[in-house]
Amino acid sequence: MIRTENLSKIYQTDEVETTALNEVNIEIKQGEFVSVMGPSGCGKSTLLNVLGMIDGPSSGSYFFNDEEIGHLPERKRSNIRKYNLGFVFQSFNLIDELSVYENVELPMLYTKVPSAERKKRVEELLEGMNIMHRRNHFPQQLSGGQQQRVAVARAIVNNPKLILADEPTGNLDSSNGDDVMKILAELNASGTTILMVTHSQYCAEFGNRIIRMLDGQVVTENVVKQYL
Amino acid sequence: MFKNHLKIAVRTLLKNKIYTLVTFLGLTIGVASALLIFRMLEFELSFNQQFTNHDRIVRVVATQESPDEGENFNVCTPIPVMDMLDEGIPQFEQMARIKEFWVTLAQPDPNGGPPLQKFNMGEFETAYFTEPEFFDIFQPLILAGDPVTALTEPNVIILTETWANKFFGSTEKAMGQELIMDNVVPVVVKGVIADFPGQSDFPIPFLSSWETLKSYREHFFFEESIHSCSSNNQVYALLHNPGQLEAVNKELKKISEELYSDRETNRTHILQPLSELHYDERFGHSGRHQISRSRLRILGIVGILILIMACFNFINLATAQATLRAKEVGVRKTLGSSRGQLIAQFMTETGLIVLGAVSLGLVVATLCQPFLQQISYVPEGLTFVGDPKIWVFLILVALLVTLLAGLYPATVLAGFQPIRALKSQALESSRGTVSLRKVLVVLQFVVAQALVIGAIITLLQLQYIRSRELGFSQDLVYTFGINTDSSSIARQDVLKSELLKIPVVEQVSYSSDAPMSGNTWMSNFGYASRPEDEEYGITLRFCDADYQKTFNLELVAGKWFEPSDTIRQGVVNMTLIQKLGIEDPQEAIGQVIRLGGSRRVEITGVSTDFHTHSLRQAHQPILLVPRKIYYWETGVKFRSGSKPAESVAAIKQAFDKVMPEQVFMGRFLDERIKQFYEDENRLAATCRGFGLLAILISCLGLFGLAAHAAQQRVKEIGVRKVLGASTLGIVGLLSKDFLKLVILALVLAAPIAWYFMKNWLDSFAYRIDIEWWVFAITGILALFIAFLTISYQSFRAALANPIESLKSE
Repeated sequence: MIRTENLSKIYQTDEVETTALNEVNIEIKQGEFVSVMGPSGCGKSTLLNVLGMIDGPSSGSYFFNDEEIGHLPERKRSNIRKYNLGFVFQSFNLIDELSVYENVELPMLYTKVPSAERKKRVEELLEGMNIMHRRNHFPQQLSGGQQQRVAVARAIVNNPKLILADEPTGNLDSSNGDDVMKILAELNASGTTILMVTHSQYCAEFGNRIIRMLDGQVVTENVVKQYL
Repeated sequence: MFKNHLKIAVRTLLKNKIYTLVTFLGLTIGVASALLIFRMLEFELSFNQQFTNHDRIVRVVATQESPDEGENFNVCTPIPVMDMLDEGIPQFEQMARIKEFWVTLAQPDPNGGPPLQKFNMGEFETAYFTEPEFFDIFQPLILAGDPVTALTEPNVIILTETWANKFFGSTEKAMGQELIMDNVVPVVVKGVIADFPGQSDFPIPFLSSWETLKSYREHFFFEESIHSCSSNNQVYALLHNPGQLEAVNKELKKISEELYSDRETNRTHILQPLSELHYDERFGHSGRHQISRSRLRILGIVGILILIMACFNFINLATAQATLRAKEVGVRKTLGSSRGQLIAQFMTETGLIVLGAVSLGLVVATLCQPFLQQISYVPEGLTFVGDPKIWVFLILVALLVTLLAGLYPATVLAGFQPIRALKSQALESSRGTVSLRKVLVVLQFVVAQALVIGAIITLLQLQYIRSRELGFSQDLVYTFGINTDSSSIARQDVLKSELLKIPVVEQVSYSSDAPMSGNTWMSNFGYASRPEDEEYGITLRFCDADYQKTFNLELVAGKWFEPSDTIRQGVVNMTLIQKLGIEDPQEAIGQVIRLGGSRRVEITGVSTDFHTHSLRQAHQPILLVPRKIYYWETGVKFRSGSKPAESVAAIKQAFDKVMPEQVFMGRFLDERIKQFYEDENRLAATCRGFGLLAILISCLGLFGLAAHAAQQRVKEIGVRKVLGASTLGIVGLLSKDFLKLVILALVLAAPIAWYFMKNWLDSFAYRIDIEWWVFAITGILALFIAFLTISYQSFRAALANPIESLKSE
């Protein structure tokens, strides 16, 4: 599903040049749950952003479903993104001015899902995440765990092929973190490919494979035993 | 999607209350100002458009080269020239002579008693003697009778509907009734026409025929001489097509060269299109007021600038707020929103504010109608809501403002890269807008300060006009009109003695005009033994021997002339003495002035200069002479301490007793003089009003930006406080950036305002100098207001507990 060839990302300011990704070559197959680990600043979030098409690579190639998309213009990347990808962020990134229901509904507005279908899907998901009773609340009125569940619901509402999760449990206590990881594992079990960046070995082991990075490069790849 | 945009727009606006309030109020003020100015412009620009043939109607006017005074402009056409034009201009489809006149109109008692009813014409009304062709040109709506045929006969009157109703209650009843003009000219109502449109320069109460004028030529000063040129004698014509203007002007030039070849005056007749009648202030007209196109342009620019200033507030605050919206932009883009969808979303927010502001602006403009009457001639009755043009204008304003105010911020916000937006690094990319914000703030204050400078200068000039010694006494002098037919002249002495019996009356004088009236009677003249006439004319004032005491005119040499019915002796003013090159005014006493080339007038006295016109005009050489038949005005000087209302009632009683057939109508002289500066007062009120609004809008913007700046620098303030900075130090830190902008704006506004106000002041012969302190006061005022605006936010930031701000970091 995902393949990179010598993927590099270099950040340039007036005086400093920082290589965030240095000729990274990875491959992720349909249905995999891959965790990316490494110390702060090793480039794992950058890798996630480039693979999530919310940032472009400086050089190298990025193949998504065998199509080179690394250097497509923002409009086309946006189009691929909305139909294929779902995002879960460490800081939830819910829109404060929208209610729980509206936040989850939002991606479907961009994919032009009919209103009745939107309602059905949002309600199903909110039920499934056990936050239906909070549907009219605003993000500031929810706990961290609830917010992240809303964020996950939003990420999967369009049935994306790939979910990109950047430290999804980073802002949560262990119990809430556990809940979120279980949801991701269940999604994976039902066929969704997941790429997750994490600092936590415990969380990483929810995946099938762990990619370890250092200084913008992939250093090791390990297969882990399945939890579920 | 639109529903989602609308929902988030409402919630965002409610969440950022200061931002919403500042932009909303600013836009409301901007829209209200634009509406008021639009109403004024629309009112002024639609003058004379209601006539069917408005694009083909022209008036014959004249320019005159004078070696002494340069080019003069006037509207008169001598009567013999009218005859030549009637035959000699093939491009005229129709031509009508007119003569403006003002009379008292009365319904006589068939039994010979005092009139049954009598009315003076309104202050701004002008009646015309004219010909049947007038109807072909202006096509007034005929309500009764056959006025076109009637205008070929003598002793006829065509009333407008209002006047027909005023006298007889209805159009039908008016037909065939007898009326009498000035108690001298009997006329029969031969037709009734609809009132002339309100927005025209033809406030005509009634028409009479050219034949009537010719039958009473002495009473109406009808002179068939090519050398006599009264501004009341005019020619209107209808061209075959509007493009013939140039061709007719060539014909007129040829005719003028032939006609005036033997005269020193270098008069050339030209055409003035009807479309210029209201706007070309060089030529007078029968209407109440004129306004130059340049004044209208400036007014339009002020309106646009105020609206743009309000948009600047919007742009400034929206871009300043960009960082707060960055996360949302990032999330939306990540979820698949396109740039266009984001622009649409932010434009919806702008549209929502604009819609609210336009609605409230309409309410505010409606409430400000009384202010509109102070600064313009827009009549009271015109509403905003009922006028479709206003709605079209509002829709256009709403669309334009939404685009102007919303598009740039929307483009900036929607242009954020998703990853940078999510990391809130968008702030860095929006830093370029900081300089834009500064530019916009400076521009706002340039406009505001330029208007304030304009307001101060107009006020100072008006103050100067009011306080300037006019050269005569205007206090406690009441003036009223009087007829000049032989019967009235015969009763002048009786009236004067009746008036003098009233204890509060100190003096009574008859004259053609009060010293300052705006009217001009000019004549060519020669002095003493100098063989040639002087190159300039002399202004005449006809008055009796009591004129000096009534108006407290001061003599510098000689004495006032002896009482007389005709011109034998006269008094001149110092300007004439100086223009004649006489060093000692005493030398002029006993010398003779040859008036109009032949009539000899002995100079008995020399008076100090007094103003005969508004202060726009310099002193003219004047000759004051007696001539009973020109005494249209009575001046009554009251004793000091008298009560105005009771005193006027007493003279009205005396007037009604002696002149029962006439209508008593008068005013205190100082009120009349005030009216000379109606235009200036309106201009001052305009500058003052819109200057204040401009400052208010600028301050609203500044307030919002200061709030934003304080919020942005909250950590810096915390650190500085921990390191020992004082509250005042912090306030200074936050304020100085903005105050620098206000000072820069003053530097830019000063020369602009100076240029425009210098031009305006140049139209006054007597004017103030523009002093440096006007700019200094404006600057101090703007700085003070700006500091007050910023200081609330600055003090709040400076007094905040630094621990709070640092902890939040």
